[in-house]
Amino acid sequence: MSLINNLEKYSKTLLLSTEEKNDLNSFFSSGFPNISDEEWKYTSLNKIVKNDFVVEDLPVFDEDNIIDKVSLGFKNKIVFLNGKLVSSPKIDGITISDFKSFKSKTNNSILSLNSSMARNGFSIDVENNTVLNSPIEILFLISSTRNTFLQYRNQINLGKNSNLKIIENIHSIHENLAFINHFTQVKCDENSIFEYNKTQNNKDNFSLIDTCNIYQEANTTSSVNTLIFGGSFIRNNLNFEQNGENAESNMNGVSVLNGSQFADNHTFVDHKKSNCRSNEVYKGIYLDKSKGVFNGKIMVRPESQKIDAFQSNNNLLLSDESTIDTKPQLEIYADDVKCSHGCTIGQLDKEALFYMKSRGLAEKEAKALLTYAFTNEAIDKISVPEFKDKCEKLIAEKLNVKLDFNH
Amino acid sequence: MSENLKKIEKITSSKYKYGFITNIKEDRVPNGLNRNIVKTISKIKNEPQWLLDWRLKAFSHWEKMKEPKWQNLNYPEIDFQDLCYYSAPKEKKKLKSLDEVDPELLKTYKKLGIPLDEQKMLAGVAVDAVFDSVSIVTTFKETLKKAGVIFCPFSEAVQKYPELIKKYIGKVVPYTDNYYAALNSAVFSDGSFVYIPKNTRCPMELSTYFRINAANTGQFERTLIIAEDNSYVSYLEGCTAPMRDENQLHAAVVELITMDNAEIKYSTVQNWYPGDEKGVGGVFNFVTKRGICHKNAKISWTQVETGSAVTWKYPSCILKGDNSIGEFFSVAITNNFQQADTGTKMVHLGKNSKSTIIAKGICAGKSNGSYRGLVRINKGATNSRNFSQCDSLLMGDKCGSHTFPYIEVKNNSSQVEHEATTSKIGEDQIFYCNQRGIDTESAIALIVNGYCKDVLDQLPMEFAVEAKKLLEISLEGSVG
Repeated sequence: MSLINNLEKYSKTLLLSTEEKNDLNSFFSSGFPNISDEEWKYTSLNKIVKNDFVVEDLPVFDEDNIIDKVSLGFKNKIVFLNGKLVSSPKIDGITISDFKSFKSKTNNSILSLNSSMARNGFSIDVENNTVLNSPIEILFLISSTRNTFLQYRNQINLGKNSNLKIIENIHSIHENLAFINHFTQVKCDENSIFEYNKTQNNKDNFSLIDTCNIYQEANTTSSVNTLIFGGSFIRNNLNFEQNGENAESNMNGVSVLNGSQFADNHTFVDHKKSNCRSNEVYKGIYLDKSKGVFNGKIMVRPESQKIDAFQSNNNLLLSDESTIDTKPQLEIYADDVKCSHGCTIGQLDKEALFYMKSRGLAEKEAKALLTYAFTNEAIDKISVPEFKDKCEKLIAEKLNVKLDFNH
Repeated sequence: MSENLKKIEKITSSKYKYGFITNIKEDRVPNGLNRNIVKTISKIKNEPQWLLDWRLKAFSHWEKMKEPKWQNLNYPEIDFQDLCYYSAPKEKKKLKSLDEVDPELLKTYKKLGIPLDEQKMLAGVAVDAVFDSVSIVTTFKETLKKAGVIFCPFSEAVQKYPELIKKYIGKVVPYTDNYYAALNSAVFSDGSFVYIPKNTRCPMELSTYFRINAANTGQFERTLIIAEDNSYVSYLEGCTAPMRDENQLHAAVVELITMDNAEIKYSTVQNWYPGDEKGVGGVFNFVTKRGICHKNAKISWTQVETGSAVTWKYPSCILKGDNSIGEFFSVAITNNFQQADTGTKMVHLGKNSKSTIIAKGICAGKSNGSYRGLVRINKGATNSRNFSQCDSLLMGDKCGSHTFPYIEVKNNSSQVEHEATTSKIGEDQIFYCNQRGIDTESAIALIVNGYCKDVLDQLPMEFAVEAKKLLEISLEGSVG
């Protein structure tokens, strides 16, 4: 049975509200997106959705020290095991709770599916004027002896003048296929600051569609750092909507892929008000037979003047079998703006490599060092040092060198 | 009125002797599109059976296709069954003197600096042979003949050089390519055919302007240019003077074939009627242009797009041979309610192939301009290189400018760079000019010309001068 049959069967056992039924119907009428859809031109789900998946609830598993192994060691941790919330911290001014149903945009079939059938996830409400200095770590761990399809539906609401940092890791432990449909909605009220760090580091049995919609009011800053180190299929949809003046949206991404891994980053910034900014830096490194897709869209609505938008996408193809398809787009309907994008695809500089080798570095290390330097612009934006260290270690691991880039 | 002018008026009041000679009885087929219409068109043009078959195949394919909707354009639905697909090149009613010509049009001609006799020709005023370009054409044809260059209307080529047409038609743009290419293949009216033999450098720039019957090639133009080994040709299409045309829909196809070491330079100035200030009327222009480059060959597209209510055009290069080069230089200006969705495709197949894309968009009024481009580097195209630059200049807060580049790279020895910027003319720049006694409108013209210089420099000399003036006229009234 294919995934869509599994879902159809399961949906009949669920009690759905009218809205959920509508969403479900719209999902079944359009099905999973295919490559004739412009947004999925380079990204095919066929290989994944043809498989048989368990879509029902899974039992919570108990594995020794698994949390300690995966965690970066922060005090505030939210842990999900097979979709169930098993622990959450108590923090003054912040309410953390299990899944709560909420309304969201369902402008594609993936989101319709999520909004109709997802029953897992978290909800974080940050009260006005709450400033949390240390980040909250969120772990989504999956372990099952069968192919697993899981959906998370999360919401984060930041009150006025608040500050929140999150580190998120979705991790599958076992050898069976895992396919996750992850959705997070973030609402940032005036003057709030939000930082969202995502690591996507999994084995080749793991597929993920991660959608994140961020709504920003006036004077807010929100940043999303997406670090991709593996998974057979990753699709990130990152959408910002600026609904207040003087909002700032930052996106940084690093993908280091090998084997036959695939990662697709779709970003969309909707500048709806004047005097806003957006910065976007995505770096991709592709080894072996890996494939990357980047699609960045900046939209400036009419009447949104004095927008400063910058987007850059740089890619290193380090193997002859690797592929990159990139599409940086601008859609601009206001005149007093400064918008630019740049996109490059190339290789490591031979002269720089020669320079390093002539100073005694082995070729592998020299290449790794140059590659690290290439990612640095994006890595540098991460404000949590522990997380940054971890990312640097992962890059070294992925490039198969024993280098500590920081020392 | 000067003495000379009086003389002209006198001569021109006589009936135009050099109208189109046509022995076709029906000059218009009924509205609508079906197999019979296609057959009729082919019959009128006395085409061989294989071409009719080809047209019919294209037509059946077109019937199965859907009108594309992906473009960033907004226009009323076209009723393809309510159009006339062929009207014989009939003699237009000639005006007696320039006095009868729309004064607006004359004003434009004056600004463009078009000589008086040319003005008359363009406006449809009858001009005697002395002032006509016929004499020029005669000498022109002789020079070409000496060089062995074939330059003639497409329908003439079908009769005279059927083997060449049969060999190359639809080879670069097959009729299955897209909706409008299929439509054109089924009902194309006429166009140009150019053949440059081996080791020949075409002695002069070929221009549709000089092909006298080019004035009425109909709405479905088809151009085929073949440059054999080691040859070179520069081809100019269009005209800077505004063209009035009763046809709303234009769907042209241009195919370029460059054999080893050959080069084709194709320059276009497109200035079809863009509709009035309120966006009423205007030409819908859907063009498929593509060239194929064999070993060491080069194709260079240069275009200045100022006209048409709707433009849908992507001149492309297939860089098949090793070391082949593709270039695309474009200026697209939209004003009032105009819309343009234009760009290029560079498909790299050969080793060490290079491509350059420079696209400049200028949007004013309530217009929308889009750049849509594809750079694809295939696996075998090692050491390939692409540089793309797409800049947009916005004038006024009601217009929009968009960029949709697609970049696909499939090997690790190629380098691709793409950059795009969108901004408006800085107030400080205008202030600087004002301060030095240049009024705002001239200042903008100055800045726009500087902004487009990279592209205008690619145009042949006399074209470049006119194009510069055209930019100024197109943007007139868009300030303050």
